[in-house]
Amino acid sequence: MSQSLAFKKLLNGLKSEASEVRGNPVLGWTCTYLPLEILDAAGLSSYRILPETSSERADAYLDPNFCPFIKASLGKVLEGEYSFLSGIVMLNTCDGMRRLYDAWRFYCHPPFSFLLDLPRIVTSSSIAFFREGLVDLIGKIERHFGVTVTKDGLASAIEEANRTRALIRRLFSSQGRGDPPLRHSDILDILAEGWTNQRKVFNKALDHFLAKLEVDSSVVSRGPKLMVTGSLLDGSLLIRLIEELGGEVVASDLCIGERFLDGVILGSDPVLSLSKAYLEKAPCARMYDTERRILHLKHELDKTKAGGVIYFALKFCDPYLYEAPAAEEALRRIGVPTLFIEGEYTGRISGGTRTRVQAFLEILGRDAG
Amino acid sequence: MRDKETRVKLLRWLIHSPTTYRVLRPIVDLQNIRENTAYRIWVRFLLDILRKAYAHKRPVIWMNSFLPIEIVYGVGAVPFLPEVMASLVGYMGWGEYPIAQADARISTDLCSFYRCAFGLALEGFLPRPNLIISSSHLCDGANKLFHYFSQICGCPHLMLDPPYSESPSTHQYMTDQLKDLVEKTCGLLRLPLDQDRISLVLNLSNQTRQYLVKINELRRAVPSPFPGSEGLSYLAGMNFYSIGSGWGLRFFRSLHDDIEKKVANKKGYLFEEKHRLLWLHHVRPYYKNEIFQILAERKAAVSFEESNYLYWPPLDPAQPWKSMVDKILSNIWAGPLERRMKAIEEMVENYSIDGVIHFSHWGCRQSCGGAAVIGDWLKERGVPYIVLPGDCMDPNNYSPGQTRTRLEAFIEMLE
Repeated sequence: MSQSLAFKKLLNGLKSEASEVRGNPVLGWTCTYLPLEILDAAGLSSYRILPETSSERADAYLDPNFCPFIKASLGKVLEGEYSFLSGIVMLNTCDGMRRLYDAWRFYCHPPFSFLLDLPRIVTSSSIAFFREGLVDLIGKIERHFGVTVTKDGLASAIEEANRTRALIRRLFSSQGRGDPPLRHSDILDILAEGWTNQRKVFNKALDHFLAKLEVDSSVVSRGPKLMVTGSLLDGSLLIRLIEELGGEVVASDLCIGERFLDGVILGSDPVLSLSKAYLEKAPCARMYDTERRILHLKHELDKTKAGGVIYFALKFCDPYLYEAPAAEEALRRIGVPTLFIEGEYTGRISGGTRTRVQAFLEILGRDAG
Repeated sequence: MRDKETRVKLLRWLIHSPTTYRVLRPIVDLQNIRENTAYRIWVRFLLDILRKAYAHKRPVIWMNSFLPIEIVYGVGAVPFLPEVMASLVGYMGWGEYPIAQADARISTDLCSFYRCAFGLALEGFLPRPNLIISSSHLCDGANKLFHYFSQICGCPHLMLDPPYSESPSTHQYMTDQLKDLVEKTCGLLRLPLDQDRISLVLNLSNQTRQYLVKINELRRAVPSPFPGSEGLSYLAGMNFYSIGSGWGLRFFRSLHDDIEKKVANKKGYLFEEKHRLLWLHHVRPYYKNEIFQILAERKAAVSFEESNYLYWPPLDPAQPWKSMVDKILSNIWAGPLERRMKAIEEMVENYSIDGVIHFSHWGCRQSCGGAAVIGDWLKERGVPYIVLPGDCMDPNNYSPGQTRTRLEAFIEMLE
């Protein structure tokens, strides 16, 4: 049994023991720049919109040249897959996300909807501005759901979320341990469980899982080491493919991967602490500062000794597609081979992608040898 | 191959020489002798701005189209709009070469205005910028591409990041950003921050705006006095590029006088007008195509186009930053879709519209993403609507047969 399956089994066991999780209103969300601590503090459940497969249902509602993740999400909403949600919270992440928000409201009339303004720049005034948006979100949640978000409640939620991050950091540093060895794809699958389960239960499961795993001191490492960066992946398929073909993913600069593990430094104003931490986290291409992103990539490469980068952009994903040439150029200048993949969100890997990844791994293996 | 390289080198040299534009002016004046005065002013304006941009006697600032151009006129620099230049290149039928150059580096699914501008920049056809400024309020591509331009050209890049929605602090947040951007611009380019010049520019902008108000009022007339195809070309171009300059004032005054005469004489731009259409999206295909000819054959006038909708309030020269922020934040294509829908409702009413065409430019997520919602909302109100997919710059994405079939079916529906 793979490590991710073992974790799932463990989590399911703990879930059946926990009674607290049932009956809360569930809010759907799409972007990791949303501080989930706020929903936790409000006593709401959160559910990440990450459809597993594509849907053609949205073709009549969104243009053909639209992000396949956005279309899959809208398709699933129209098919009624998210009818259990009591509302949605989205961010003005990109043109696609803004239009998904419009279409969702226009065609599906969610009982609660909120679009959080996310600045692209990180300055003291943008941190203050983002904080105001968070305060507005808290107020709207309180009024709509008849709940109260207290300062103490928020501080506890931040502490619990920081605990999740610390556990996930331990999980990443346990890559290669265990029998079978914990792979990067397993870790991403484990993280995905965190998007839809109660934080406390998830933390408990992680704790138990790590306690068993960390006993094993041997670390299995195999194949050329590489890093994957880019837009949203449809699960861990690409990472799994790399592993199957003999590569070892040692870093995933992805919003389903390692983008936010540093934790929130709790100050006297918890909302301000959240605003600062979320804006200052490792940036995605949607943020303005391409240089900051490239510096982050270089830092990760240095830390993990990855010898190559796979840069993945979803088809029609403007932030990553526009950024790609600058990133590739910067990596080329420091001698890091890069493979650019423009991909779909279909729940499967195309033959073409497989061949390109295989060839890339051969090049990396040869260079390393 | 050698010949082609030589031709490209020669063309690049000609484009970069300010003399080219001096020599061209009397020639194109003669060529345009039968065109209306406003059109002639547009051409002269372009030659003038290109001459200045390539002469480099004053700093050149590249910017994206939806930033208020008053900023650049206000600091006394020469504005250069790569997207407008890309549309001109497309209009001249020269778009394929720069687009092909760009396609070797970036995805073909990105906006072809940007791909064309990128290709032109890579090939060294554009004037060297001293500074690049951009704003993120309309689409995701602007800041990323303009930032990359700054790396290619080796100059600084400053950006504005307007929020999506209104909140009590939005104006102050934006005003601080804009003030900072202008101060940095002046510092980087060693230009004085001259309040008198800024006031003059804002006054010119307001006077020009008054003519735009009158033009839009006159265009309510039946039959339609001014063709939408031109509204989407040089009128939209001047709207982006000239407001706040003397050229802009002359252009809009002249266009106003011309349209006023046509309205007084009850003269429409079509021989016979049976249907009145509204064109959605700021742009149209600029290469040779049959769209407007097909509509004209069927007596369907494009009476108004979304790109010339006047969305901003008059500017206050005593409060320049706040005013320009108001202009940015009132943009109907930014922010919630409802803002755009409200403006469309107004246009449908004001221009006695019988049907609406949404031109969905390949690669433009921000506009095309709302096309279905807008369509269903208009249909609920009994307004016939069609989405016309295409590409404004890349003729490879234009399908003449399909376009004709869709347009003819739409006109039949109106009948």
